[in-house]
Amino acid sequence: MKKTIKSVIRHLVLLFLSVVWLIPILWLFVTSFSGYKGINTSHFFPETWTLDNYAQLFLRPDSIVQYPRWFWNTFVIAAFSCIISTILVLMVSYTMSKTRFPGRKGLMSFSIILNMFPGVLSMIAIYFILKTMGLTNSHLGMIIVYSAGAGLGYLICKGFMDTISTSLSEAAKLEGASQATIFFRIIIPLSKPIIVYTVINAFLAPWADFVFAKLMLNSGVATDWTVAIGLFNMLGKSMINKYFSVFCAGGVIIAIPISALFVIMQKFYVEGITGGSVKG
Amino acid sequence: MKKKVLATLLAAAMTAGVLAGCGGDTAQTPAAETPAAETPAAETPATEEAPATEEAPEAAAPAADDAIANLIAATTGPVAMTVWASEEDQDLTTKLLDQFKALYPDVTFEITLGAESESTAKDTVLTDVESAADVYAFADDQINDLVQAGALQEVVANYTYDVAASNVAGAVEAAGVDGKLYAYPMTADNGYFMFYDASVFTADDVKSLEKMIEVADAAGKKVAMCVSDGWYIYSFFQGAGLQLSLNDDGSNTCTWNAAGGTDVAQAIIDLAANDAFVDMTDEEMATQIAEGNVVACVNGTWRAETAQQAWGDNYAATKLPTFKVAGKDCQMSSYSGYKLIGVNPHSKNLGWAMLLAEYLTNEESQKARFEARGLGPANNAAAASPEVQSNPAIAALAEQAAYATPQRVGGKYWDPAKTLGQILASGNPDGTDLQQLLDTTVEGITAPIE
Amino acid sequence: MKNALNAIGKCFKDLGTAFTKGDIWVKLSAVVMGAGYFARKQVINGIIMCLVEVLFVVLCVGYAAPNLAKFGTLGTVQFEQVFDPLTMTSTVNDYDNSFLILLNSIISLFIIFVFVVFYISNMKTVYRLQLRQENGQHINTFGEDVRTMFNEKFHITLLTLPAIGIIIMNILPILVLIAVAFTNYDQQHMPPNALFTWVGWNNFKNLFTSSVTVTFGYSFRKILVWTLEWAVLATFTTYIGGILMAKFINDKRTKLPKLWRTLFIIAIAVPQFVTLLLVRNFFADAGIVNTFCSNIGLTDFLKNIGLVPANLSYIPFLTNPGWAKVMIVIINIWIGIPYQMLVATGVLMNIPEDQIESARIDGANPMQIFVKITMPYMLFVTGPSLITDFVKNINNFNVIYLLTQDVFVTSDQLLANSNAKEIDLLVTWLFRLTNEYYNYKMASVIGIIVFIICAAFTLVTFTRTIKGDKEEEFQ
Repeated sequence: MKKTIKSVIRHLVLLFLSVVWLIPILWLFVTSFSGYKGINTSHFFPETWTLDNYAQLFLRPDSIVQYPRWFWNTFVIAAFSCIISTILVLMVSYTMSKTRFPGRKGLMSFSIILNMFPGVLSMIAIYFILKTMGLTNSHLGMIIVYSAGAGLGYLICKGFMDTISTSLSEAAKLEGASQATIFFRIIIPLSKPIIVYTVINAFLAPWADFVFAKLMLNSGVATDWTVAIGLFNMLGKSMINKYFSVFCAGGVIIAIPISALFVIMQKFYVEGITGGSVKG
Repeated sequence: MKKKVLATLLAAAMTAGVLAGCGGDTAQTPAAETPAAETPAAETPATEEAPATEEAPEAAAPAADDAIANLIAATTGPVAMTVWASEEDQDLTTKLLDQFKALYPDVTFEITLGAESESTAKDTVLTDVESAADVYAFADDQINDLVQAGALQEVVANYTYDVAASNVAGAVEAAGVDGKLYAYPMTADNGYFMFYDASVFTADDVKSLEKMIEVADAAGKKVAMCVSDGWYIYSFFQGAGLQLSLNDDGSNTCTWNAAGGTDVAQAIIDLAANDAFVDMTDEEMATQIAEGNVVACVNGTWRAETAQQAWGDNYAATKLPTFKVAGKDCQMSSYSGYKLIGVNPHSKNLGWAMLLAEYLTNEESQKARFEARGLGPANNAAAASPEVQSNPAIAALAEQAAYATPQRVGGKYWDPAKTLGQILASGNPDGTDLQQLLDTTVEGITAPIE
Repeated sequence: MKNALNAIGKCFKDLGTAFTKGDIWVKLSAVVMGAGYFARKQVINGIIMCLVEVLFVVLCVGYAAPNLAKFGTLGTVQFEQVFDPLTMTSTVNDYDNSFLILLNSIISLFIIFVFVVFYISNMKTVYRLQLRQENGQHINTFGEDVRTMFNEKFHITLLTLPAIGIIIMNILPILVLIAVAFTNYDQQHMPPNALFTWVGWNNFKNLFTSSVTVTFGYSFRKILVWTLEWAVLATFTTYIGGILMAKFINDKRTKLPKLWRTLFIIAIAVPQFVTLLLVRNFFADAGIVNTFCSNIGLTDFLKNIGLVPANLSYIPFLTNPGWAKVMIVIINIWIGIPYQMLVATGVLMNIPEDQIESARIDGANPMQIFVKITMPYMLFVTGPSLITDFVKNINNFNVIYLLTQDVFVTSDQLLANSNAKEIDLLVTWLFRLTNEYYNYKMASVIGIIVFIICAAFTLVTFTRTIKGDKEEEFQ
């Protein structure tokens, strides 16, 4: 009996916590169906329900809301930058974890410190460097912004590779395999969880970043934007009262694929990050 | 149409057409560099302030037409330009751009329209002037910063209409710096005044802020104003006769801490202490008006639509009320505001950009802008039309105009003034001595530009 | 540090040896970089080296020299433009753009530095080739050289590409940032229209002194303190919270752990900027939470006990400094815990069960087990990532900026006079200084300080991890 009560309390606590966690998300969800475009401050649930916000996003693109284009832009940028980032991270991780060369530890300390340097600080310089290369206002420029420095984020991946036993690669070496063969044939297949982790993280970055995107894609033309700038723009001073519920609809739409990705990849994610952070 | 309007070529201005910062040696550009001597037409007496339209001296027109003809002849490839207009202005601007293209059938245009709010244009432009739009709209308070950064092409010549003569004097003044014209006035309605719900207030009530608060309190409603904002808090201090002005080097002169300053500060604290007087941002006001909580607010034409929808036939607007300073009624002052269109001197098609800017701000376009969005025209002829005159918001602005001053203030003003507003609106919670409070604010506002 | 100096010393010693002991070909290599290879029949290597040299010379003459010549002054020719009303065109003089000069000079210096290193290593290689030939050892063909790039020297092959990316995206911008801190680059001196120039340590002095009008010193101290407070609070609340939540959900007595976990994950699946902007409106002064609180009488209650200023009719969740700081931490807990829970779940799964069992048999209660076994294990495993989180929180731009931008107005006049706010972190202050006030010089100074702080924290923790032999533990 006492056990049952304890169990009920335990689950009630969990229920309470999940409600707290989900209330804002629920608000996002219900507001996206609101017939009133501004912020409703007196009712949690909309007074009139409509699908019009979604229709506006997908069927009536205008010069401010170009959701399908934003989605496509972001997808292209995310896809390429996640491929490049993952390759770069794997290259660096493998070198740092499995090869030995003079100056390796110095290089590691140096790159860890460098990685602590927040991008916001050097934004303007990056902007002008890319501008001299003629890459502002282009997808390629954005892909470079998101992926070029990815090599610095090798730490977790390297930690994971450290846990892969050396006996396999030793054996391969005895049979005359080169480092390249070991890298491609042995280490990469064994690093699946951490690869998935890296891929997800790199893929998500462009969906969430508005600071760099806003600086780089400064033509003011809505068709150039990513989802993040577009949505951020909708909450500008002059827009918020006409676009708040549209913003919510946009938020729900990007949340769907990302949640799905998270839920499916949960297992890999946990394995990857813990395998890696075991060694930090 | 084009033939009818006057074009004044400011030949004298050509030697002054050097676009540079404050550097002293730049003014010594040899006059030989300016090709003024090339064409006799340029010698047209330019300083004359000719009135617009039909009365235009026919002699001047050919020079402008020649210039345009030259430009068309010199244009070989497609003309690529970017235009920035605010989010709300997109549909109208698209239409105007099409009309502009139709004017010059021989030229291929590739005009891209971008969305950039007038109030934030400066932020985007200044980050990288060279890649900013060729033609962009902005609010007149940004003009000093934009000129200093070399982001505005001086308007040394007009081609399709006389900018200086056909717009209201205040707008032309607001579009200039040091007596030089740097932009094309687009609207004359960017100031603020009082909106109210006539079912709550009588025309007499709205003459005094204290009375309004009393009435609103009795009705259980609120009067809103964004006190914690440099733009609005100005109305109290200026209204009480204290000074704020811009110096040549970009710093400010401010006498808010002089005698009488503390009375104004106390007056604001007293106002804010009323439950019926709330300090809220513009966006919040929009929601609160729609919800019926706010029945009167200090705001601008951009809120007219919201207020009209919420209050229907009872929607009304008037000049700002008076407020009590040390027992005396003072008329609240305000900033008059204008929206302007500027041309980026780094534009690759400077000539076309200037023609386009002129087109977007000419009488017809300003009329169209009023019809589409209810924005008050800066153009004399457009503003004189009966429809414009009968618009309550624009009438209120005109009424307030007597107490309004153009916005000439340096960048160091905003943050300290905003914080002063915040402290006063929250009732001076730390109990700082009011004189000391004002002294610190003034020190911040008048800080030298290093 | 000592090691680095030794390495540099050895490098020059080797170079000296190569010069003195090298044969004519090695000496010739000092001028024609490929010479040493041609002599040892490594024609392709030789051609590549010569091409590199030619490319370098071309870059020096065409790119580096003109920029570096102006590096001392950062340009002297002011932008001038003359408009001709008749042709409707304007002519621009050949002006100097200080920023581009600075940027290009730094890139040039960097290229020169890289070339010098390359040059020295080339001399050493050429000399080594000579020695091999003299000793009659095998000299690699080009094909064999290429093969070593995939074996013994595989690390070079792998690191080249990432290094190029990092140089462009990280190293060059940092160098530019450092340089700008010593200039007067601000709104009064913005290229292309105006020039800026070197001002030495002036900006640093401004940051550490405080006068009536220059309140940067005051603001810096205040913001630094809050930044550190925030980083500690944000890191530990989410860390502990994540572990507790993971323990709670993974407990055997909890039914359907997967479902619960998924529910919490949904909260983080919505991108942060969406949730944060949403929450900002959720807690707005006239927002829905305030409506609710005032309906149930909470607002009046808080007013009565003095937590809400008497003249407000709402709870200033994000507009009063005290409230805002608390709310920011709470909202950060809200977004941070699910992540930490995910991590902790994984780590807890690997916790050695036998230890816990034996402790239980010894009569330890769950609390003791948590404190004595679980926490030390968690700290041991996730310690380094805790420090990473700490540094990330020092630079947690999103949470602060998205929750308070355009909403929060400072009521501290001295902060306002230097464009700062109570809730600003160093990064958000810096961001607004650049983005809204174009005060690049001060922003750069602050940036350098932030970097030094972060680097110090990182170095302290990570050198231990890297230097120690823990790395080999699992292999």
